[in-house]
Amino acid sequence: MVDGVRRAPAAGRALARARAAAGRAVARVSGRALGPYQSAVVRIGFSATWLFFLLREFPHRAELYGPDGPWSFALAERLIASNHAFSVLMWSDSGLWFETVYALSVASALLLMLGWRTRASSAVFMVGVLSLQNRSVFMGDGGDNVIHLMAIYLVLTRCAQVWSLDARRARLRGSASAGAAGPVLWGVLGAVFAYGAVTDRFGYGWLAAFAALWVVCAVWWMADRYEPEGEGRAALDVLANLVHNAGLLVIMAEVCLIYATAGWYKIQGSRWQDGTALYYPLGLDYFTPWPGLSGVLAGSGTMVMLLSYGTVAVQVAFPFTVFNRRIKNVLLALMMLEHAGIAVLLGLPFFSMAMIAADAVFLPTPFLLWLGARAAGGVRRVRGVLPPAKAGPVRPVRSAV
Amino acid sequence: MESNEREPAEASVPAGPPVDPPANPPSEPPTGQPAVQPAAAAAVPAARTPADPPVGPPADPGRPPRAPGIAGLSAPYRVLAALALAAVGLAACGHLALVFLHVAPSNTVSKQHARTVDDWIYPEFEQNWKLFAPNPLQQNIAVQARAEVRPALGGEPVTVGWRDLSAEDGAAIRHGLLPSHTRQNELRRAWDFFTGSHDEDNKPIGERGELSEQYLRRIALARLGRDAAGGRGEIVRIQLRSTTRAVPAPPWSEEKTDTQTYYRELPWWTV
Repeated sequence: MVDGVRRAPAAGRALARARAAAGRAVARVSGRALGPYQSAVVRIGFSATWLFFLLREFPHRAELYGPDGPWSFALAERLIASNHAFSVLMWSDSGLWFETVYALSVASALLLMLGWRTRASSAVFMVGVLSLQNRSVFMGDGGDNVIHLMAIYLVLTRCAQVWSLDARRARLRGSASAGAAGPVLWGVLGAVFAYGAVTDRFGYGWLAAFAALWVVCAVWWMADRYEPEGEGRAALDVLANLVHNAGLLVIMAEVCLIYATAGWYKIQGSRWQDGTALYYPLGLDYFTPWPGLSGVLAGSGTMVMLLSYGTVAVQVAFPFTVFNRRIKNVLLALMMLEHAGIAVLLGLPFFSMAMIAADAVFLPTPFLLWLGARAAGGVRRVRGVLPPAKAGPVRPVRSAV
Repeated sequence: MESNEREPAEASVPAGPPVDPPANPPSEPPTGQPAVQPAAAAAVPAARTPADPPVGPPADPGRPPRAPGIAGLSAPYRVLAALALAAVGLAACGHLALVFLHVAPSNTVSKQHARTVDDWIYPEFEQNWKLFAPNPLQQNIAVQARAEVRPALGGEPVTVGWRDLSAEDGAAIRHGLLPSHTRQNELRRAWDFFTGSHDEDNKPIGERGELSEQYLRRIALARLGRDAAGGRGEIVRIQLRSTTRAVPAPPWSEEKTDTQTYYRELPWWTV
């Protein structure tokens, strides 16, 4: 009896609390594009990785993705007919088209890194990444796989709120969509899209995705221009925030899934259990660019055991530590260091760079602010003559698409 | 005790209907500070640039600024936003669930929904994170090739000796900071593709087997043709083989590893 009386208000309170918490959560995910610095660093990290990769492979581009490479156009056509992967390179087997796509992929990576008309750049970047990688799937490795996924996810995010030309334009001219370049870009991309649609080169999924993106960008631009304070613009903002926050969540979860999978499968391996696993890659000809260095490390049983166990422990633990800031940051630093080591020791620089870019989504904001200030300081020192610009954090710009 | 702890927290929620809108504005600084760890983030800029005041949105002085998020919208838009929230949330969770089922070991649920998972994941969300797992590769597999060349000056075709294409890859990778995919992945993965799509007797399994054969042939031809046969004549046939040698057991272990070289020879392919 007494119990019943006490339970009813307690339940009511719990319900009220839950509703209040849900309300706050909704306000949070609809009111702001969370993690402006984190999404920016992921954008810069992945576009830089892909840019450096394309520049490094420039002399080998024809062998990797060209129509007459070992994975010839005809072979790619047969495989893609069965797996339906997306690649604009399959639109034509001409060398000129291939060179154009490669050049555009380089350009979009550069523009995305700089954050210029970012929603469009990120879409073109994604098309470039998917087109080249899907053209020759057997050329890639784990690094390409991460870039592939993140290129898709990045389109969903408002990743240019800071550290971007869009943010700069918004600061100087009041709106990120100011200027004529936006509509021109929209028109050109629309024409290419229309050509692809008319000639039936897209699957239904891509057709719908590109059409939606194209229409929303037009609506956004009009709202921004004619009704910047209007309700439609505010609603678009809410929509963009929701999609961004979901995209960022997916990126974070994807990183956790990567580490969880890598770690949990390792636990099942006898070599990871007896602590010799790391020794073996150090003896593989394809992964020993510095045989002397590999030999020194492989010579120490204790080091190999500690690093093997450490790798598994960190990978398995990481997804559970994201809720504890301090432990997460320690593991994050360890993982980034390990990837830097892998870059040199196993000769996997682009894989490592991609993984570090993915890890960066979990970097704490104060650290990113510090990094940004240092980078800005470096740029100023290089320029020398210019008066000191604002070194402080750049305010996330609301109007960036 | 427990209720004592929770009471103040609840009291801090504004009175009135306990739904979201009223709770929103106070938690939302108009400066649009970065979201993650707002307190720490705010502390750093203050310490670094005391002269830099927070820049507010360029709002009309006459009109109160619209509250950010759903709270700032009127009823019809709010309904739309709520629907969008539900759709986006479901899509994100659904995607993550399917990716999870894709990367997890085959299990009760993933077997039940294999079709759904594959339909969503392939081709663009395919992923494999078994990096050096469950066990790292413990043997060096090298691909070698030889060719039968018809001399340019006429006469019977001659067989040119085995060339270790993987060793050439290895030499190109050595002492470089940026190995090319053409050296690190091309031949290595082509061989994996071939062995994965052929049976023990080198018979192709399905269309992939056929594709892998042509791929391997083209790689070998391109590499042999690059110099060896270049001046000497025309390649008539080529043959490939793999050599597999286990990485010797670590010096500190008592394990004995068979480090003999094992060969797998493919039939001659006419060009």
